[in-house]
Amino acid sequence: MPDYYDMDDIIMEDQHIQVIFQVGANGVGLLDPGSENNSVEKGAKVELPFWLAHELQLRQAVSIYLPACFSQKTRNEIKADAACVNLKVHCPYFYELGCKIVPLVSDKTIGSFLYETFTSRYLEMLSKSHSASVLTAPKFLPRLSKEEIQLFEASRSSMMAFKKWRAGGSRLEKAPVLGRKRKTTIPTFPSSP
Amino acid sequence: MMSGLTYDDSFSDQNILRASGLGELQPCLGHNNSAELPQMSSVNPTSSARRLKPLSLASMAGQSDPQLSLLSAPEVEFLAEDEMVEIVPNIKMESLNMICGDFGPFFPQIACKVPLWLAAALKKRGKCTIRTPEWMSVDKLTQVLETERETPREFQPLPFHYIEISKLLFDHAHDDVQDTYMVRSLIEDIRDVRFHKVESGLENISGRTHAVKLKNLSAMEVNIVRPFMMRTLQAFYKHDNPQIIQQHNISGRKQPQVLTRSTRNLRPR
Repeated sequence: MPDYYDMDDIIMEDQHIQVIFQVGANGVGLLDPGSENNSVEKGAKVELPFWLAHELQLRQAVSIYLPACFSQKTRNEIKADAACVNLKVHCPYFYELGCKIVPLVSDKTIGSFLYETFTSRYLEMLSKSHSASVLTAPKFLPRLSKEEIQLFEASRSSMMAFKKWRAGGSRLEKAPVLGRKRKTTIPTFPSSP
Repeated sequence: MMSGLTYDDSFSDQNILRASGLGELQPCLGHNNSAELPQMSSVNPTSSARRLKPLSLASMAGQSDPQLSLLSAPEVEFLAEDEMVEIVPNIKMESLNMICGDFGPFFPQIACKVPLWLAAALKKRGKCTIRTPEWMSVDKLTQVLETERETPREFQPLPFHYIEISKLLFDHAHDDVQDTYMVRSLIEDIRDVRFHKVESGLENISGRTHAVKLKNLSAMEVNIVRPFMMRTLQAFYKHDNPQIIQQHNISGRKQPQVLTRSTRNLRPR
């Protein structure tokens, strides 16, 4: 599976999702903080990491709630002005999670919603990233989701590298090993006349 | 090497030409001098039948793909130093026999062509003067700048490594270039205009874009936009895909078509 080794994917799947148990489950009372005995009852609402919820959904044991970041309220916010919404607060892996959730939840409009969000934010990001000024970046960065940050960083780093090259300078860099000063243990004698 | 996008076999040249009438960014043949830098081409096909299969996973998680390797700017400069320039030596020297070729015996005041790295080395030792390439005159550059400004979609043909060559010449041989400041500022302006064109072209990328064709883009410019553009295309591809599946789910009868399409995409490349 190509996704298996991808670091961001692993971290993303660790995000918590609200689920409702369709069957009772014994021995996993840890998952439900409100349960008295060591089991989860049918109909209980629990927060599970995404990978677990995904598997259980395939086995028809739970049904997944739409996470808060795709709720109607957030959607309205985003429709108003996509570029200004702080996605990191809602969910740092906004797009990834959305794409994974699409086949699991009955709501069909998530895909197009994600797409539109991304398109509008992308235009904004395009202009900002290539100008590569040091000042604009810190204001803008906290609002981006993880994937957008990678996109942004990719272009910015290549732009900065180009500017640095353009400014000139020697092509040879001093190796960092040589930079350290060493203390000599040999005491220095005063030179004899 | 490039690990972003591959083409379907059935994406024939005819389709490129047919769709090129409706394309947004200039749909022309790519300009590729060096095998190391990957080619990028952009067409907006009207038929939705063809889908690219990204070599990395079809997801925005591909953003962290470490295979989107970048040639650093000094490396591109290094590659540019293979370009031939004309020099006028002022010493007599027998021919240099090197692995990459033989550079003929040098006689004073007789011009000959050598690679740029050799020219820079000789110039540093004061053994020659470098003749500026003919594209680097004020008139030619002004003309190029004018046409760049007039055509918002096309890039003017310029030597593939014009940025690096000009930088190297300014560094080592600025006394050999006439009107140094003029030429320098002209090249800067040309670079700016072209880069803005790339950016505005990028705004038009939608989910339907399979590839981006940028004709006459130079090596350094390609190097700058490469990671961004590849990631963008991957992201757009990812986002458009589930939509199609969703639309087909709504109109249920097309389900089998989706299946065959996805199995087609899984064909090994």
